Amino acid sequence: MSSIDNPHFVLRRLHSLLGVVPVGAFLAFHLWENSQSRFGAEHFNTEVVDALSGLNYLPFIEIGLIALPLAFHAFYGLAIIGSGRPEPLRYGYTRNWLYWLQRVSGVGLLLFILMHVAMTRIAGLMDPAIHADLFGHMRAALSNPWVFGVYLVGLWLAVLHLSNGLATAAISWGLTASAAAQRRFGWVCLGLGLLLGVIGTHGLIGYLIAPTTGIA
Amino acid sequence: MTSITSAQDRPVAALRTRGDNRARGGAPNHLISAGATPSETTAGTPQRNDPAGHARTVTLRIRRQDHPRSLPYWEQFRVRVSSGENVVSMLRKLRLDPVTSDGRRVGPVAFEHNCMEEVCGACAMLIDGRPRPSCSTLLSELGDLIQLEPLPKFPVVRDLMVDRARLFENLKRVRAWVRLDGAYDTHERAPRMSQKQWAADYLFSRCINCGVCAAACPQFPDGAGALEPQADGFVGPAALAQVRLLNAHPLGGYDKPDRLHAIMAEGGLSDCGNAQNCVRVCPKQIPLTSAIGELGRQTTVQVVKDLFGG
Ligand code: HEM
Ligand code: SF4
Ligand code: FES
Repeated sequence: MSSIDNPHFVLRRLHSLLGVVPVGAFLAFHLWENSQSRFGAEHFNTEVVDALSGLNYLPFIEIGLIALPLAFHAFYGLAIIGSGRPEPLRYGYTRNWLYWLQRVSGVGLLLFILMHVAMTRIAGLMDPAIHADLFGHMRAALSNPWVFGVYLVGLWLAVLHLSNGLATAAISWGLTASAAAQRRFGWVCLGLGLLLGVIGTHGLIGYLIAPTTGIA
Repeated sequence: MTSITSAQDRPVAALRTRGDNRARGGAPNHLISAGATPSETTAGTPQRNDPAGHARTVTLRIRRQDHPRSLPYWEQFRVRVSSGENVVSMLRKLRLDPVTSDGRRVGPVAFEHNCMEEVCGACAMLIDGRPRPSCSTLLSELGDLIQLEPLPKFPVVRDLMVDRARLFENLKRVRAWVRLDGAYDTHERAPRMSQKQWAADYLFSRCINCGVCAAACPQFPDGAGALEPQADGFVGPAALAQVRLLNAHPLGGYDKPDRLHAIMAEGGLSDCGNAQNCVRVCPKQIPLTSAIGELGRQTTVQVVKDLFGG
């Protein structure tokens, strides 16, 4: 039987599934957590960073539930990108542009996530002072307009990739079978993407406007 | 300049409803314009076809290629046409007197057509950069400069003729047939189908295997350089739609698991990237993306059965 003897189908579905959970779910959670930046350093460093750092089995969660699924999704995603030949200019339909953007945002995200993890999680491991005041570290970094711009682009690429990915995953799995259902669910995903994008943008701005200590 | 109708080169404006390509979004212009008056539909006879003065001269840019392995080149022609004509009838006119715009007499442009009513699928090509059947592309939808290229992704045989054998290979890969041989229970009544199912299935049975959807699909591999018909890479939207159709057939349903397993292998359903160009360009308005969504659901059920039994 093809689905057992030949892993192609199962691998593709795994790529799709991992994009939604855990990676997509983590992205939503991550944006929610960072939206609390505007409550200031004290709240953020204790209620958000320390609370998460104190989780039991944290390395298993970070590696097994986030890093490895993301790595699989990213590298299999690169292989998928290699098999396609987008022509967004010849066929200017929205879905075709989204097909192209899904690939562009995937590559952009890979670069952004590597940079982002290096300057937060890895930097925090190297230098305990950074980990102790992650809020101050991010505030200093984001005060540079270039860094802020890169984060803003990275954020919206991630949100676009996730929300468009939810719409296509629903087709891949057969949740939205008819074209009408696909269109309806597309609007739902657009709404979800805008919501996540606003939450994330709010979080980025929060780092700059929040008080350094105390609660706003 | 062709000498066919160049006697009076009258400039005319009327009746050209659309100067550029057919509307994005795939409105079936050929259906709208199919309500042409009888005098317009008698194309190909320049003396008769244009009493109201709707004739015009169009410039044709054609991408030619002499041999499957030779390099393509462009040639330009001028042809006197009337608004009721289509791209095939224009090419037939050109074939009578193939003289380029700069006056060179050249070999006739090779192209394919059979039915002239959008049911055989032979005549698909790139018209002004978009894949369409040329018999149902009316000149009234096109401007004064018309660019023709062979259907992309398929090997060129000569000029506008391509080898579409790969489409058939792909139908074979997905077992797009109903098995009739073998013993069946003759005590059962003939299989029945509801009107509703019949109406839904009928949409998929109209596929003419023209290859237009494959040409527009970013996941369908470019086989233009292949000398043998390829039987790998994404099977394309049309073959998937036939799986959708035949899985629903009362007898074809017996082989549904086999077809689903065929499209769960490399090049199958999950190689679709949901760009959905197919459904926008299909001249028969086949609901290809619904087929793909329905097959997504069927394969989800199938993989659960495979992994957990049942
Ligand atoms: C924040 C991180 C990411 C999230 C939340 C995410 C999520 C998703 C989701 C939900 C899908 C839809 C799957 C489907 O259509 O069935 C998807 C598709 C895709 N992802 Fe990601 N992804 C992420 C990062 C990446 C990265 C780093 C790459 C690497 C290049 C990538 C490449 C792709 C590609 C190429 C597709 C399209 C697959 C197809 O059309 O079959 N993604 N992603
Ligand atoms: S599905 Fe439509 S575009 Fe594709 S081969 Fe059939 S008729 Fe042509
Ligand atoms: S000639 Fe048959 S489809 Fe055009």
